[in-house]
Amino acid sequence: MTDEPHDIDCQEALDRLYEYIDGELTPQRSEAVRRHLAACAHCLHLAGFETAYVRFVEARARAREVPDALRRRVLELILFEDGGTDTP
Amino acid sequence: MPNPDEKRRSFEAEALPYLDAVFRVALSLAGEEAQAEDLVQETMLRAYRSWHQYRPGTNVRAWLLTILRNTFINQYRKAKRAGPTVDVDAIAPYTVFGDVQDVDPEGTFFDRIVDDEVLRAIDALPDEFREALVLSDLEGLPYSEIAEITQVPMGTVKSRIFRARQALQRRLYDYAVEMGYIPRRS
Repeated sequence: MTDEPHDIDCQEALDRLYEYIDGELTPQRSEAVRRHLAACAHCLHLAGFETAYVRFVEARARAREVPDALRRRVLELILFEDGGTDTP
Repeated sequence: MPNPDEKRRSFEAEALPYLDAVFRVALSLAGEEAQAEDLVQETMLRAYRSWHQYRPGTNVRAWLLTILRNTFINQYRKAKRAGPTVDVDAIAPYTVFGDVQDVDPEGTFFDRIVDDEVLRAIDALPDEFREALVLSDLEGLPYSEIAEITQVPMGTVKSRIFRARQALQRRLYDYAVEMGYIPRRS
């Protein structure tokens, strides 16, 4: 089985950790990281910490929505743009 | 001859759902609300004017964010953020885990940090860091899409995201220590 995940060390697991959290690794590489984490308590705790951190940033930073007044202005701009298409 | 009503309907249905995303990214690029609002209006107007160039079925979010980014670079960046850009590759990877593993290994101190402080810390990041972080963590874009929007190779995107996250983590950790949410490592 040539696509069997190879064993990786702590440094390689750390190098690939964010890609692992972001779901950017190939299935084989992801499995190699998962297996390392299952076997290494230090890296498992580090991965838990980094995952919590990334989810925290995502949740906090996505909370903002466009203000209503700005949404209305954008709609008006588009309407006005159509009304004025004949004049450059 | 294009029907203006049809054009407006398709723009409203396909592009406007991404207005929040455009606003958040604009905010992080411009750094302040008033300028971000100008940037959003300019971007959406440009997008509407070139809506005929958008190919239906392709990624409308990436298309809008590309227009946003170009608008910002052309008109705002020089005026607003003239600060030095950094060589992101020169900054060593760093995680605060080593500092907190004995007192708060699960990172619960993060939850005590308020939204505004997080946004301020993001805003204080150097340009290359901020842009990568905003696109990945605020907007949840895959690395490939970030590479397309920022016109850099995937490897560069990857390294910018990593370093951005670690620089931000360091700032938030320092803030948490300062606020007494977590003891400083002795």
